[in-house]
Amino acid sequence: MFELGTFIFSIIAFLLMFWIVSHFGFKPIARMLEQRRAHVTSQIEDAEKGRLEAEAILAEQRRLLEEAKNEARAIMDAARARADEQAQQLIHAAQAESERVLADGRELIERERNEALASVMDQVAKLTVELTTKLLQNHVTEQLQQDMLAEAEKRIGELV
Amino acid sequence: MPNFPVLFGNTAFPVNLVAIGTIIFTGLVVLVLMRVAVAKMDMRRPRGMQNFVEWALDFTRNMARDTMPTESAVRFVLPLAFFTLFFLFIANWLGLIVTIGVKLHHPIPWLGLTAAKLATTKGDVLFFDSPTANMSVALGLAVLVWLISHARGLRHPKLWFRHFFSPSPLGLLEEITNPLTHGMRLFGNIFAGEALLTVMLQAPFALGWIPWTLPLILVWLLYAGFVASVQAYVFSVLLCLYIGNKSFEGHAHS
Repeated sequence: MFELGTFIFSIIAFLLMFWIVSHFGFKPIARMLEQRRAHVTSQIEDAEKGRLEAEAILAEQRRLLEEAKNEARAIMDAARARADEQAQQLIHAAQAESERVLADGRELIERERNEALASVMDQVAKLTVELTTKLLQNHVTEQLQQDMLAEAEKRIGELV
Repeated sequence: MPNFPVLFGNTAFPVNLVAIGTIIFTGLVVLVLMRVAVAKMDMRRPRGMQNFVEWALDFTRNMARDTMPTESAVRFVLPLAFFTLFFLFIANWLGLIVTIGVKLHHPIPWLGLTAAKLATTKGDVLFFDSPTANMSVALGLAVLVWLISHARGLRHPKLWFRHFFSPSPLGLLEEITNPLTHGMRLFGNIFAGEALLTVMLQAPFALGWIPWTLPLILVWLLYAGFVASVQAYVFSVLLCLYIGNKSFEGHAHS
């Protein structure tokens, strides 16, 4: 049968117990669950952020590596070009040097030949003088003169 | 009907002390279980009771989500639905696990235990029983849910007023039948389980010594336990449904 007092007091008792349990039992659990939810969310966010950051860093590294490679290649090319140029210059210099040395040698030979010719001329002159002297002293005959001329020719031929 | 100690039995305001006492007792059991779960609470490594309570909370949340229109309504009802589910589960089982009866030889008039009343049960008085096996308690809980649902509905007075008539004025009838069936269903199931159990326990042994009712009692105990669990769930689902029906702040999960 229906009892009004039990009815009303059961509502009051139930609400009282509900208030106590929700305050001392439910709230801490709900708070903990909320904390866990926030924690998990922040962890996921952090992980995603970290992943993006890592990707950015990786891309940056790749870019730097590519740059360094290009730079190295450019340096190598420049060095190679300079080396070629230097080699060319060296060859040119060597050629010029050798031409110079050759020209010097030729000049020297020319000069010495001229000198030798000059000295031969000297000697010829001296010989001429000697021959003239001898001729004048020894009453030169036709025959002798011929001989002397031949000798002179021979000697000049030897000299030249 | 078993006899209970009742205050103010002669007035229009009788109070069943056992019902009120067992409500408080059940609430304390829930509180203790919750405190056990809370005491060693760890956000990272849930253990033991905490796991169970978290599971029960998740279960209640899903139940509320399935029956309520908005997430804010779910958040509103979650503590109440969780407590009600937990409370009713224990309360419904209470009468199956233990009932404490006392045989009184002298009437105690100020507790409503008059000689005439005692005579109907041969002096037996129950001092411990399921609170939900009491019609007034079950109806009290149902009316409480009804009051809460209307209090929530009155946050939007226009919509609240319109919802009585909007499909048809039969909605007004529901306002009476819903809390009535809500409470009576709970009371009837639990009371029937206990009443039949009592009858079987009091049945005389065959030939004076064969306990022929024992297998029946065991089967019925299992069935009544099943019914007790289901009724706790049904009451909580209907609680969410009734409060959700009067949550007018939008009809889409947000």
